[in-house]
Amino acid sequence: MSTDPLPLKKEDLLRAYRTMRTIREFEERLHVDFARGDIPGFVHLYAGEEAAATGIMLHLGDGDRIASTHRGHGHCIAKGVDVAQMMMEIYGKKGGACQGKGGSMHIADLDRGMMGANGILGAGAPLACGAALAAKYRKRGEVAISFVGDGASNQGMFLESLNLAAVWNLPAIFVVENNGYAESTSRDYAVAVDSYVDRAAGFGLPGVTVDGTDFFAVCEAAGEVIQRARAGGGPGLLECKMIRFFGHFEGDQQAYRGKGEVDDIRANQDCIRKFSAQVIGAGVVKPAELETIDKEARDVIDRAVAEAKAAPAPTAPDLLTDVYVRY
Amino acid sequence: MARKISIKDAINEALDQEMARDPSVIVMGEDIVGGAGSPGERDAWGGVLGVTKGLYAKYPDRLLDTPLSESAYVGAAIGAACSGMRPVAELMFIDFMGVCFDQIFNQAAKFKYMFGGKAETPVVIRTMVGAGFRAAAQHSQMLTPIFTHIPGLKVVCPSTPYDAKGLLIQSIRDNDPVIFCEHKALYGLEGDVPEAPYAIPLGEAAVVREGRSCSIVTYGMMVHRSMDAAAALAKEGVDCEVVDLRSLSPLDLDTVIESVEKTGRLVCVDEANPRCSIAADISAQVAQRAFPALRAQIEMVTAPHTPVPFSPVLEDLYIPGAKQIAEAVHRALSGARS
Amino acid sequence: MATRSPTIGLIANPVSARDIRRVVANANNLQIADRVNIVLRVLAAAGSCGVERVLMMPDKGGISAMLSRSLARERGLNHHFPDVQFLDMDVCSTVEDTFGATRRLRAAGVAAIVVLGGDGTHRAVARECGDVPIAGISTGTNNAFPEMREPTITGMAVGLYASGRLSDGQALSPNKILDVVVDGRHRDVALVDAVISTDRYVGARALWRTETLRSLYVTYADPGAIGMSAIAGLLEPVGRREPGGCAVELCPTSESPKWSLLAPIAPGMVRPVGISGWQRMGADQAFRVGHQAGVVALDGERELAFDPGDVVTVTLRENAFRTLDVSRCLHLAAADGLFRVSAP
Repeated sequence: MSTDPLPLKKEDLLRAYRTMRTIREFEERLHVDFARGDIPGFVHLYAGEEAAATGIMLHLGDGDRIASTHRGHGHCIAKGVDVAQMMMEIYGKKGGACQGKGGSMHIADLDRGMMGANGILGAGAPLACGAALAAKYRKRGEVAISFVGDGASNQGMFLESLNLAAVWNLPAIFVVENNGYAESTSRDYAVAVDSYVDRAAGFGLPGVTVDGTDFFAVCEAAGEVIQRARAGGGPGLLECKMIRFFGHFEGDQQAYRGKGEVDDIRANQDCIRKFSAQVIGAGVVKPAELETIDKEARDVIDRAVAEAKAAPAPTAPDLLTDVYVRY
Repeated sequence: MARKISIKDAINEALDQEMARDPSVIVMGEDIVGGAGSPGERDAWGGVLGVTKGLYAKYPDRLLDTPLSESAYVGAAIGAACSGMRPVAELMFIDFMGVCFDQIFNQAAKFKYMFGGKAETPVVIRTMVGAGFRAAAQHSQMLTPIFTHIPGLKVVCPSTPYDAKGLLIQSIRDNDPVIFCEHKALYGLEGDVPEAPYAIPLGEAAVVREGRSCSIVTYGMMVHRSMDAAAALAKEGVDCEVVDLRSLSPLDLDTVIESVEKTGRLVCVDEANPRCSIAADISAQVAQRAFPALRAQIEMVTAPHTPVPFSPVLEDLYIPGAKQIAEAVHRALSGARS
Repeated sequence: MATRSPTIGLIANPVSARDIRRVVANANNLQIADRVNIVLRVLAAAGSCGVERVLMMPDKGGISAMLSRSLARERGLNHHFPDVQFLDMDVCSTVEDTFGATRRLRAAGVAAIVVLGGDGTHRAVARECGDVPIAGISTGTNNAFPEMREPTITGMAVGLYASGRLSDGQALSPNKILDVVVDGRHRDVALVDAVISTDRYVGARALWRTETLRSLYVTYADPGAIGMSAIAGLLEPVGRREPGGCAVELCPTSESPKWSLLAPIAPGMVRPVGISGWQRMGADQAFRVGHQAGVVALDGERELAFDPGDVVTVTLRENAFRTLDVSRCLHLAAADGLFRVSAP
């Protein structure tokens, strides 16, 4: 019987903190650099949602697969995709995770089991079913996870995937990151019944709702759902109620948010702050240790940005490569 | 040892032999076995037209009947392909592409490029194309141009049992996503097919009839209508060359150019509707690359710009026939550049 | 007989029955649509029995939205329902909503509060309701506290009481409560059970790992219930209206306890639990928690983590809050002919 005050050992707690802090620093830095005009295209930031990606990915290895959303930086970092390569990709440079040809919305690293951020919302759900099917044939107890938002939970292919996963008893887990907004539209408008557990139950899958800003709640619930799938218990759904700090995309003025809403959530629902308070309060970690990680994370991001800015852009021949394996 | 079997049996044999050779090949689709969950026979259908019949008995854990849920199971086939398997998913009718097209054109087609070269998606989507069954507007289309248009997809359309087996085996072994089109009116067509497995490379057209007067470039069922037209024209002393494209993407334009440079006249025959058709595509590319060789305007014979009608009289008018093809050849022969 | 304002309060929790027991045990899910249907049954019945106005807790979990749509539909069909008004309060989608709603309902002077939820929801209401009686309907994971009863009947009983046709003495029953004090400060309450677990974090809240359980305190112990209180119920039953409760010392089955008890600790989950001993708890007797550090779970949910050096006590208090005795109300209604009208 463990006498540890928290369910994870100190080294795992520090690792979780580092992951969350890295995501936060990455996203906050992009927010600043995007506003300056340094970054082409669109970025969708995960700041505020770190506990969900981290609490879930803690249970996964490289053999487990995830299919992400357009808001994929947090999933990528938590799954172990190289931060410098991610930044290079966002800057559209050669040497980026996708050689500059995918961009923020399509970062992938199949070696790490990251099947890609996706610009088509809900499209990851069938893909995750496929990865789960392959895992089932491989018989190594691996799983696949599909992330969708409250908006994409209305997409037909998501609902079809719930049914398919149940029919084929796939080791597939569907995570609904319910941050209350689909672009500018509140789920209070767009979702007839705001319970994704109900939707899963309708297809015969068990579901759990947790506070997505509570790392330990996510970690514990995700652990049980994933373990059940690994053991052949079939698919499940995890609903994480959470908040996003930034807009749908960078440049979104967020006029649809209530007055003071963002300030309030930053002050009161910051998942990293909650985590820090809990690990320090339990006497497992000292504030100085977290401060060291904060600085290290900022350094990693600084270096990644410098590398990305210095990296070469792809050249004209790169336009035509890698359409096919062999044509 | 070759023997005469039908296109249907040739496809079945290709699937059988590849599944025997490679345990990562799985086959999925609606009713490809049939009887799932039902009180009667399992393998009740073996596919809506029986193409996959008998495979379930040999590979019971690798034939998967699916719910009526194309975007989920076609997507799952694609996801499994990214995860080390070689799935062959059946989209029962190409007309159903609307309910799963995103997974095909935005996901499978783009992974290799979008992910900077690292992804491989060795999925085959087998699908029925074409008219002639009185199956009406939503079950009879030739939508090959839409898939051909998409970078990242390969599109194959055999017209003979020999080509069907060899091209399907190659498609399964190919590491890119392949749309394998099976003409529903040709399933019963018999031809010589070797027993042993063999692969025909994609991107190679076949000159199925040599001639000097006019090049007819086509694919699918229209190959046979073109051969009928060529036989009739031969009696008039017109000697047509018929080129079966077999592979729409990659396209063997060189063989087409070679033929046009020999005959100086081109008739493109396509069962698809005329706008942005394969016929329009070939015509434009030939006009661009081999204009000096052309001795007359290029002729296109296609279905009309209408949905496929139901009434047999109308459907028979819809589908280009040997007579229309022969008339087009005549126009190409009599037309002249100033 | 005092006439009471025929206004009642209603608190329906959208997030009960959503926790991890759906995955680790066989707990079922109660859909939002089913909860709204329960509310409609209660409203229709209470309305038929004299309730004219209902003040309801707003929520963002789907109940308020769907209820509003359903009521509009029902009224469009000319079906009679009481006037339903949502409390003017912010919704933060946490237990704070339940506390806040209960306080507001009490201030508004409602005759009774109908609660849809599990043990946890009822606990939150009981903490703030003061003298206002509770009529509970089970829509949670456990059925230990609220009764299993057809909501229509609950609605009728509430109507009888709220309209003054039954007195407090006739309609209401007293309930015990457990007070949890840490270092001299009152922190929280439990309606049925307080459990000490060696887990030292709240996490996913539910309890199901029996090897972590060390002590159990219950206000009553019904052998026919599920949940932690069933452990006591199967050792020494104590009725809801009997004085006192029960305290049980637990230990892991791997440590060769005196007894091993098979108990239904969650829906569909019957597990062996190691028992070292048990005793009755008298009213106002402070039981000091022996275990050094852990978490106090209240009515089946981990709530209060405590550290070495913290002094944690659990005390049973009688007559802490009142509930509507639906069965008694309907029996009295039958005996007194309250629903029977003679022909003119």
